[in-house]
Amino acid sequence: MTKSEASGPSARADANLVLDINDLLDDYTSLIDRDDLERWPDLFVADGVYRVLSRENIERGLTAPLVYYYSQGMMRDRVTTLRDALTYEFVYTRHVTSPPRLRLRADGDVAVTSSFSIFQSTEAGVTRTFAVGAYEDIVTRTERGVKFRSRDVVLDTFGVLNNIAIPL
Amino acid sequence: MNTRQTPEWPASDFTRVPFRVFMDEDIEQLEQERVFDRVWCYLGMAIEVPGPGDYIVAYVGRTEVVLSRDEEGRLAAFVNSCSHRGAQVVRRIRGNAMSHTCPYHQWCFGARGELLGLPLLRGVKGKGGMPEDFDKTAHGLKALRVEEYKGLVFGTFSPTIGSLHDYLGPRMRPQIDRIFDRKPRVLGYYRQRIPANWKLYLENLKDHHGALLHLFHATFGIARPTMTARVALDVERGHSFTHLADNDEDKVQVRAAYAGTEQYREDYRLDDPSFLQVEPDYDDRVTNVIMSIFPNLMLGQVANTFQTRAIRPKGKDEFELFWTYLAFEDDDDEAIEGKLRQSNFIGPAGYISLEDGEAGRMVQIGIASRPHDSSFVEMGGRGALEDADNISTEVAVRAFWKRYAEAMAIDGDDRR
Ligand code: FES
Ligand SMILES: [Fe+2]
Repeated sequence: MTKSEASGPSARADANLVLDINDLLDDYTSLIDRDDLERWPDLFVADGVYRVLSRENIERGLTAPLVYYYSQGMMRDRVTTLRDALTYEFVYTRHVTSPPRLRLRADGDVAVTSSFSIFQSTEAGVTRTFAVGAYEDIVTRTERGVKFRSRDVVLDTFGVLNNIAIPL
Repeated sequence: MNTRQTPEWPASDFTRVPFRVFMDEDIEQLEQERVFDRVWCYLGMAIEVPGPGDYIVAYVGRTEVVLSRDEEGRLAAFVNSCSHRGAQVVRRIRGNAMSHTCPYHQWCFGARGELLGLPLLRGVKGKGGMPEDFDKTAHGLKALRVEEYKGLVFGTFSPTIGSLHDYLGPRMRPQIDRIFDRKPRVLGYYRQRIPANWKLYLENLKDHHGALLHLFHATFGIARPTMTARVALDVERGHSFTHLADNDEDKVQVRAAYAGTEQYREDYRLDDPSFLQVEPDYDDRVTNVIMSIFPNLMLGQVANTFQTRAIRPKGKDEFELFWTYLAFEDDDDEAIEGKLRQSNFIGPAGYISLEDGEAGRMVQIGIASRPHDSSFVEMGGRGALEDADNISTEVAVRAFWKRYAEAMAIDGDDRR
């Protein structure tokens, strides 16, 4: 069972919601690891926010993001350019994530945090740890199911191994 | 001449660069002594150490140094290695302290690196302790000379080098002023560990790849080979800058310039181009200013982003690219939001700059088995090193190598 920090029965996310959120988180990592990036923006609401942040900057109160997309359109643009324009190393990726912590917010959305490790494997099958950090999400209920209102990818590995090409 | 081999240059106009300079440990060692230890090296920005006791860790080549501010508000810098037995003294990369105590045997140093005191100086009960003639003033941390230009702080180990003002020189200073006359503030830092020799990044900053490698750049109009361009050199000092500005070129010209590549696609449209449509800070239509200060500092502008990039060698085939991303005091909330949006161009994940790391990696891998071959650097012509009014040129790359080769060939006693 996913741990809920909110107190009182009414503040706890109901079981179906918890399962839906778990599915959303799983969909996210598995579609990236399968290179099904075209579906990645669909996990967000239309004006969803996807940011990659450095723990160093957050600790210093500095606001510069490594990535700052504030619409599904910007996420789709990233995928298009990854496919057709950008030059980067081909790697297989594998996400390993912790069980999420959920907290029901007053506005009905759910704040979700989890830890991640991302491994990269080259075409020759050599694996390296690419990044570790935490996802800090706001998940919301929509007619199309639960979606990310925002996902912040907070990097402990802010000394980035060369560059970040595909979504983390 | 030093007994160690200095690189040999296959062409006197630097149209060939021996690949060995990117992969040789002896050369890397020599660079520390002959390049980094003899120049003005960028340490950081004055605003990063605003008050007494503030410090940050910086690098002169591979040497870790501390930039700090003393009780009178003066800047100082010293090597972060204990004058006793060499331990790292300052152990956080930034902070505030009026004194720094080496944890190993508790030697205590002031904000200028001077030795304040040490335990057991006179031993215990008259036994042990330092010799009678021990002179505290002779055992401070090794100090650097520090000077500042428009808030950019540099340090040097050279006792003979002239002023920083002169080191930057009359060609670069107006370019620096254009940006740094405004009071900056730090929006954030980016760090990349790029698996390439640091000099490959210098080449990258100075060549004509912008509108070629960076198809995003090209496709969405940030840089096209047909833009108004200027490549300006300070050959004597080893600096250069590249300027790009919009000139409303027509599509026919652009298409002609890209003849020979299949990658340029006029039909590209961004789904959400709003981050491109940020109100620029300057109305001079300049879209890129890439300044490179010898040996390892980039200052500049990409779209409406402003930054410093320190290129920090971490071995012969790795460097850290350390970005300081800037806003300015006069930026209002909207301007700040614009700069945050445009961060999508730069940094480790930026549309433009992620590929520069990849370029370094590709070359380092590509040349690995070719130490005795050279690159071919004739775009823009051979011979004289002169300014260019277009970006179809590698002249600034050649000028960098000329300055580098001169530094590496000089043997002398002015190094530490
Ligand atoms: S090494 Fe620093 S006090 Fe001994
Ligand atoms: Fe570039």
